[in-house]
Amino acid sequence: MREAMAQDKLTGAVLSVRAVSKTFVTRPVLRGIDLIVPASEAVCLCGINGAGKSTLLRVIAGLLRPDRGSISIQGCEVRREPEKSRRQLGMISHASMVYPELTVSENLAFAARLYGVPNRAGRIEEMLTGTGLSSYRHDRAGILSRGLLQRLAIARALLHRPAVLLADEPFTGLDADATENVLTIFDRFVREGGTILMTTHDLHLGLRCCARVAVLDRGVLILDARKEEIDAPRFLADYLSYARSRR
Amino acid sequence: MKDMWLGLRAILLKDIVVELRARQVLPTMVVLGMLIVFILRMASESAAAGAGVPVMGAAALWIAFLFSGLLAQERSFAAEQQNGCIDGLLLAPLDAGTIYLAKVAANIILLTIFEAVMVPLVLMAFRLHVAGWGRLAGVLLLGNLGISSVGTLFSAAVQLTRTRGALLSIVVLVLLLPMMIPASFALLVLFGALPENVVGSGSFAFVGSFRAAVAYLLAFDAVFSVACWLLFGVVVEE
Repeated sequence: MREAMAQDKLTGAVLSVRAVSKTFVTRPVLRGIDLIVPASEAVCLCGINGAGKSTLLRVIAGLLRPDRGSISIQGCEVRREPEKSRRQLGMISHASMVYPELTVSENLAFAARLYGVPNRAGRIEEMLTGTGLSSYRHDRAGILSRGLLQRLAIARALLHRPAVLLADEPFTGLDADATENVLTIFDRFVREGGTILMTTHDLHLGLRCCARVAVLDRGVLILDARKEEIDAPRFLADYLSYARSRR
Repeated sequence: MKDMWLGLRAILLKDIVVELRARQVLPTMVVLGMLIVFILRMASESAAAGAGVPVMGAAALWIAFLFSGLLAQERSFAAEQQNGCIDGLLLAPLDAGTIYLAKVAANIILLTIFEAVMVPLVLMAFRLHVAGWGRLAGVLLLGNLGISSVGTLFSAAVQLTRTRGALLSIVVLVLLLPMMIPASFALLVLFGALPENVVGSGSFAFVGSFRAAVAYLLAFDAVFSVACWLLFGVVVEE
C-alpha cells in the first residue's frame, strides 16, 4: 500500500484505482480494475449498460465498499481516510442531490457548510456566476428545468474546489445548449488543474471533452488509451458494433 | 470538532427549513395525535371513574408521541432519498455519527413542538392536574430522546434498505416497549393516579418509585443513544 502511494506521488497521480474488485451477491461487477489519472486530465469511461461504470464511480466515491483493491485520491486512501479523501472529491450522478424545497442559493449554502468552505458567500457567488445560475438564485430547486438542475448539481459538486470530479452520465436529458454549457464548465475545471472521470453513452461528447478513453466490459477494463493513440472515427464505429454485439 | 459542529448545524437547519416549506410531517403528526387522543377520550368515558381518567390520559400521550414520532422519523430519511440527497450527505467529509446526531436533533425538535400542542390538549380533554410542570417537561424530554434516537436509526435502516414503514413500526415498538413502562409510571405519578412509591406486584411495582422511573428512562436513553449512534455508520454503509 505504501509503495503504491509513493508511486502515485512520483507519477503525479491524483486518482489511483488499484486491483479493485466488487461482487454483488454472486455476480462479479468489477474485476481487478487498475486506473491511474493525473491532474488536469479528463477520462471518459464507456461501456454498455451493466458494464460496471456507475459501480466503479460509487466505489471510488466511497459509497460502496470494494471487496478487494484500494483507491486513493490525492494520496489519501478512501477506506482509511474517508473524510479527508471525500473533501477532495465532487460527484454528479443520475440524481441531482439537491433539495427541491430549498432555493438554488440555499442548496449551495448547505453544501458549503457541510464542506466547511471558507468565504462562503463569495464562493457561492462565484459558482452562481460560473454556472449561469445568478438569476435563478432565489428559485426553489424543485421548479428548475433539467438543464438548470444539472448546472446546480455541478455547482454543488465543484463548490468546495475538489481535485477530482466524478460525473455519472452528466449529459443525460440535456438539450444542445445545456450540453454545451456543461462542456464549458468541465473544460474550465480541467484547465484549472482538475481531474474528471466521467461515464457516458454519448461517445462523441466523451471524446470531445476527454483526453483519454477507457472501455469497461463486464467489469474488466478492456481499453485504456489516450485520444491521440486511437483513430476516433474507427473507434466510434468499432465501439458501436461491439455494443450491438453485447446486447 | 468545528467541522462536526458546522455539519451538524447545517443538516439540522436544513431539515427545519425543508419541513417548514414542505409541511409534510408536523400537520400529519398533529392530526394523527389528535385522533388518538379523541379515540382514547371516548374509551375513557366507559372506564371506571377515578384513576381511570389519568391512566387514559397518560396512555393517550405516549401513544400519540410514539406513533407521531415514528411518522416524523420515517419522513426524515424518506426526504433524503428524494433526488439522491442521501448520497450528497454521505459524500460530505463528515463522520456518519454527525449525520445521525443532526437527524436525531431535528426529530427531537419536531416532537417537542408536537408535544407543546398535544400536552395542553390532553390535559384539557381529560381534565388532568399536573404535580410539577418541570418534572413533566423532564419526563417528556427523556421519552422524546428515547423515541427519537431509536426511531432515527431504524428509519435510516428501512429507508436505505428499501424496506418500508411496516418493519420500522414493528422493530421500534418492540425496542421502545421497555421504556414505556417507566415512562407511563412517571406520568401517572405526575397526574396523581399513583403515589410516588409503589409496592406489591406487577410492572409498576417493579419500577418502584418516581425517582427509579426517571433513572430507568435516563439509562435507556444513554444506552440506546450511544448504541444507535455507533450503529448508524454500519447501517448507512452500502
